[in-house]
Amino acid sequence: MTPAPRLDVTLVTRVPGFELDVHWTAGDGVAVLFGPSGAGKSLTLACLAGLVRPEAGRIVVDGRVLFDSTAGINLPPQQRRVGYVFQGYALFPHLSVEENVGFGLRDRPRAERAQRVADVLARLGLADLARRRPAELSGGQRQRVALGRALAIDPALLLLDEPLSALDLPLRRALRDELRATLADLRMAAVVVTHDFAEAYRLGDRIVVYDQGRVVQAAPRTELLWQPASETVARIMSIPNVMHGTVVKATPDRIQLKWRGQLLEAVNSPAHTYLPPPDTPIAFFIRPEYVRLIRKDRGPADPSHHMNVMHGTVVEEADFGTTWTLRIRLDEPGTPAQGAYDLEVEVPHLVYEILEIDRDRHWEFSIHRGSIHVLP
Amino acid sequence: MSAESWSALSLSIRVAVLATVLNALVGIPLAYVLARRKFFGKTLLDLLVTLPLVLPPTVTGFYLIVLLGRRGWLGAPLYEATGWTVAFTWWAAVIAATVMALPLLVRTARAAIESVDRDLERAAHTLGRSELRTALEVTLPLARNGILAGLVLAFARALGEFGATLMLAGNIPGRTTTVPLAIYTAVQTGESGEVLSLVLLLTLLSGVVLVLAGRLGARAT
Repeated sequence: MTPAPRLDVTLVTRVPGFELDVHWTAGDGVAVLFGPSGAGKSLTLACLAGLVRPEAGRIVVDGRVLFDSTAGINLPPQQRRVGYVFQGYALFPHLSVEENVGFGLRDRPRAERAQRVADVLARLGLADLARRRPAELSGGQRQRVALGRALAIDPALLLLDEPLSALDLPLRRALRDELRATLADLRMAAVVVTHDFAEAYRLGDRIVVYDQGRVVQAAPRTELLWQPASETVARIMSIPNVMHGTVVKATPDRIQLKWRGQLLEAVNSPAHTYLPPPDTPIAFFIRPEYVRLIRKDRGPADPSHHMNVMHGTVVEEADFGTTWTLRIRLDEPGTPAQGAYDLEVEVPHLVYEILEIDRDRHWEFSIHRGSIHVLP
Repeated sequence: MSAESWSALSLSIRVAVLATVLNALVGIPLAYVLARRKFFGKTLLDLLVTLPLVLPPTVTGFYLIVLLGRRGWLGAPLYEATGWTVAFTWWAAVIAATVMALPLLVRTARAAIESVDRDLERAAHTLGRSELRTALEVTLPLARNGILAGLVLAFARALGEFGATLMLAGNIPGRTTTVPLAIYTAVQTGESGEVLSLVLLLTLLSGVVLVLAGRLGARAT
């Protein structure tokens, strides 16, 4: 028997010009709400915290009902025990770090409160800053104070709204991993909102993809990365090389498809239930880092090692520090699939140098069927 | 200074202090409600509070007589019940000054409260605070400088109130003659030399108040 989800969320609500209608669940670990701005992610957090009352729905955290429109249950935010880390942190500027962290503990005895604040500050490495004001802190320190303030009340659920967006890029990367470690340590139900896929992937165990007030996919993070449920999800994740072809033949294991004059073979989606008839339009994507350039100095390509073989010319390239991104146009008449080129290919610097790609622009390459992902 | 001048000055200060206290009690909650709540009749309430700022003070005074005079809507029942009427007492001067100063406090305080980040209030709610406790612990402390600037302006306005005071409280030497009324009387009777010191004092006081309010206002943002 699978354990009951720790978080079970159903929300329906309308604000002028926008309708939110979502249902998702999450188990242990961190759930990330991911999607473009204006998809309803922050509104969902506000509903979870009780700051916005949805028109209908149900919110259950570890078996505790926070909201249920049919049963007439709506706990006010003060009674929900939800720790909320706001975008921009919303630290009380007139209070010191320790007063901020202790703000939610006012009803506890003084000694217990002081002990709890000291524990939280020590745990987050803030002990030396206890008497500072928020204005005297760096961005990273503010983030930790906001987290500490939310954690001090020993919340049943922790919510983080774009916890890294107020930070500069280099700091953002470092704190992303620090936050990941802290959240893994806490082992409490947590929901993080972000519009950055790298952040979603690093922070989340389960990713719920939002688009225009709807959930378009909810899956463990690796499943999402390898099997986006639809073209919409692939677009939101900004996956490169999303293509359109036509089905030639579909079996539960494989799908043959035609694209730009090529006959390609792909592994079918893991559900094995997607069996479109021939000539159906089909969307798929090819991971740029899994395209194999075929060396010319080793004789003709061995067909048993290479499948989905194509030829093309590098028409554009860009250096990303450790990798090169090559844009390749196939040796095929007609309009390329992505404007001036057909395929984006990513190669490590070392490969680029060994193959002398800067000199040699025309290449034969292959793609394993497992690296062509169909989007049902 | 003459005894009359001293008496006017002391009355003026008492009136202005009391009017400022009443402003704080009425105006701060009013500013909060106007800044943070939506309710039926909000526009009307806002209008009523603000009108004395733009109406001729004598018109405001006229309304106060209609409301509080011995035959007024509230004044008549009060007179029947207690035999006392507020008109032509120093309390009338306090009420006139309060009503005239209220829009200055409410508008300044409201702007200060509206500038407080609402996420701070939401954070306080998630940390267990009711709306009232949030207002007392977060919103009002953060709007403090704006509110203080508003109170300073209200005090200055109360100190200089003339028209509405004359209408509701009259100009009874020793009882309702505040500094502005004393100055008016002195000029009318050709004794302006008598009150020159009062004129200068009032100017000086108002100047200090403006500088103070400006500084508080600047720190509020």
